[in-house]
Amino acid sequence: MKSRLQYLTLITLVFSLIFLSIAACSTGPEETSTLVYGLTLAPSGIDPHLNASSELGIPLRSVYDTLVFLNPDTGKFVPGLADNWTISPDGLTYIFTLRRNVIFHDGTPFNAQAVLANLDRICDPNNHSQKAVFMLGPLEEVEIIDDYTVAIHLSEPYAPLLDSLSDVYLGMASPTAFETWGPAEYQFHQVGTGPYRFVEYIPIDHLTVDRNPDYAWAPSIYHQPQADIENIIFRFYEDSSTRALALESGEIDILGEVPPHDAARLSVDADFTLYPISIPGQPMQFFFNTQLSPTDDVIVRRALIHAVDRSYAVNTVFGVYSVVAHSPFSASAFNLESQDLILDYDPTKAEALLEAAGWTDEDGDGIRSKNNIPLELRIVSPTWGSNPEVTQLIRADWETIGARVILEIAPGFGPLKEAQTQGEYHAIGINFFGTDPDLLRSFFSSNGLYNWTGFTDPEQDQLLLQAAQTSLDPEERLRLYQQFVSDVQEEALLLPIRFYVNLVVASKRVEGLHFSAQGWYPILIDLRITH
Amino acid sequence: MEGLLTAWAAVSLTFFALRVVDGDPVASLLSQGLASPEQVESLRRSLGLDAPLLIQYLRFLRGFLRGDLGISLYTSRPVSIVIAEQLPATIALALTGLSLAIFFGLCLGVTAAWKEHSAAGRLAARVAGLATALPVAFTGVISLLVYRYILQFFPSISIIASRHLLLPATVLGFSSAGAIARVVQAGLVESMRSPYMLAARARGIGRGVRLLWHALRPALPPATSLSALEAAYLFAGTVVTETVFSRPGLGRLLVNSILQGDYPIAQGVVALAALFYTASHIIADILAFLIDPRLRRTS
Repeated sequence: MKSRLQYLTLITLVFSLIFLSIAACSTGPEETSTLVYGLTLAPSGIDPHLNASSELGIPLRSVYDTLVFLNPDTGKFVPGLADNWTISPDGLTYIFTLRRNVIFHDGTPFNAQAVLANLDRICDPNNHSQKAVFMLGPLEEVEIIDDYTVAIHLSEPYAPLLDSLSDVYLGMASPTAFETWGPAEYQFHQVGTGPYRFVEYIPIDHLTVDRNPDYAWAPSIYHQPQADIENIIFRFYEDSSTRALALESGEIDILGEVPPHDAARLSVDADFTLYPISIPGQPMQFFFNTQLSPTDDVIVRRALIHAVDRSYAVNTVFGVYSVVAHSPFSASAFNLESQDLILDYDPTKAEALLEAAGWTDEDGDGIRSKNNIPLELRIVSPTWGSNPEVTQLIRADWETIGARVILEIAPGFGPLKEAQTQGEYHAIGINFFGTDPDLLRSFFSSNGLYNWTGFTDPEQDQLLLQAAQTSLDPEERLRLYQQFVSDVQEEALLLPIRFYVNLVVASKRVEGLHFSAQGWYPILIDLRITH
Repeated sequence: MEGLLTAWAAVSLTFFALRVVDGDPVASLLSQGLASPEQVESLRRSLGLDAPLLIQYLRFLRGFLRGDLGISLYTSRPVSIVIAEQLPATIALALTGLSLAIFFGLCLGVTAAWKEHSAAGRLAARVAGLATALPVAFTGVISLLVYRYILQFFPSISIIASRHLLLPATVLGFSSAGAIARVVQAGLVESMRSPYMLAARARGIGRGVRLLWHALRPALPPATSLSALEAAYLFAGTVVTETVFSRPGLGRLLVNSILQGDYPIAQGVVALAALFYTASHIIADILAFLIDPRLRRTS
């Protein structure tokens, strides 16, 4: 009896000691100039010149500056590390006058030699750049005119060049740093000229940046001349179901890609603010295969678009934050939607079109057929980004108008490409993000890498090429793309669903959150923490 | 030797499975809509992915035998370094998880046997059953919810039970505790029925001492072997646990490298897992031999 009492006393003593020590720790001064930012994907590599993940730009957009910046509100380019630039009348030569007195975080001066070294690094085939090199298009030569003037020569006009140069993938890195560390290790020792300095990156765990006190060359799209917050730690939250929990337990201050139902709940919570951020680029979309019956018939394609209740699908899967998309591309400077060619939800019309195209229910089994061939549709969906959920709803709608639908979910990009190569599909989902509509050339020109509709039209190819080469007149360029989009809508080549809206939730103690034109990247320099 | 064979089989299977199921890694690598078909081809050539699959496999095996796991397709970093970075986090999680599994397993097993016919014993048996049945993905999220709820009242608890180690290790340990508890319970119940226990009882030794001293010892060898095997399963469990708790480690490295098509890394992690699995079997045998004097006598 006595021994039991002794044990009990001992246990009580130990526990109270533990709790006391914890209480002592937790009452320490709170670090208010540190912010924790949640990332939603742990990329395989975070070297912007060499890797392609869009997640890497969230921290690194503020580590690097670019020659030009894209104003998210106007869609116009503003000076960055280049004070000004001129484009030759033939669109083949861009001359940049560089800003003086800019130094990298390691003390290396920024000048024309640095620009040349950066572009050389990106184009070096041994470095296997996955994105940046392709963004440079028909780059032929980089010429140093003097220490602060550099010319970029192209082999053919390429209008998206400025857009490319405004993105983090073509951010200017310190040649001293990347030459010291080499292509494999530089990602752990990145050095730029931006408002934040790269401190540390531990893969799958965290990435830390701290304030650059020497920053004195903020572009006009930044609201503050220098950063406010001392340190920003980025952590990875890949499991979407635990993202809201991480916010609510106070582990992180800002987090993107919060699932819609959690976002709705947090948006009415007094401790959080919801920022629905539109991401420019292609919508979630399904391309029709124009090489395979029955989707080789434009009437059938139109019927299939009319048959889908897209606003129901968008509301069900993405909540109230997204609207139905009608065009194949959207960005602030490129509103391409043509209102008079929109194919709205109209199942009666869809059925009438199918009847007119000769697809009738010949034997009364509920499945339409033509010449004894049943109306069978095979739809291939990627596994990511709620594509499968949307595809289920599309299937239900197509079955309602008398089709037999086979649904195949491709568990990754490889299998999706495999299914596409085999060609046994009527509709297939794929979409990319980007601020320049030249992206569409891969999808809609006859020999494009992503011409998954199989549609070929020399006039369309010519139109896309002309638009890509209209470097000097943005308005003419916009007109060409509007023309192109109405052609695509006329041919009913794709079923667009919605443009991506990134649901970012931030703690109320964070102020000044806004995003770059690419949509994904927060402007970290303008963030403040309120007490 | 057997271990190496197992590792070889596992790695070869991964090599072919990833390529057959997932197709072309270059397609994933350049899935950004900007490259031209010629550029894709040239990248494939420079990564040595244009060679026939068998040649690629032989090249890979040659490297593997020399201890060279190749380089990551995405970052050109050696796979061995990428894995070494993530290894400590997973080892810490798995070891803590294993210790907790043994602790929970013993507590539940002994309680279930000791109070066999009372509510406490039945409850312990039920909990053990539940531990085996519930997937880590489920208990993980539930534990996070409970954790957040408790946090409202005891904000300071975040220091001891943070998501970093103790909470995920508890979830992981709990999932393996069920099987251990069952074996301990079965062993105890069986030995309690043996004639020597009757003799011990006749000598007036109390039930508690009989159970914990005399009966537990013969019940331990199977539980020890099982624990060593559970260590291998814990390794698999870390894949889910690391994702749910946003912890770094090999599990997430494996999942990410498969999703992103970085095959050399996936192969490296699988090879390591296979070696680890084999090693834990060998350790299980050795432990059983050390603990159980009967095994030593027969050999």
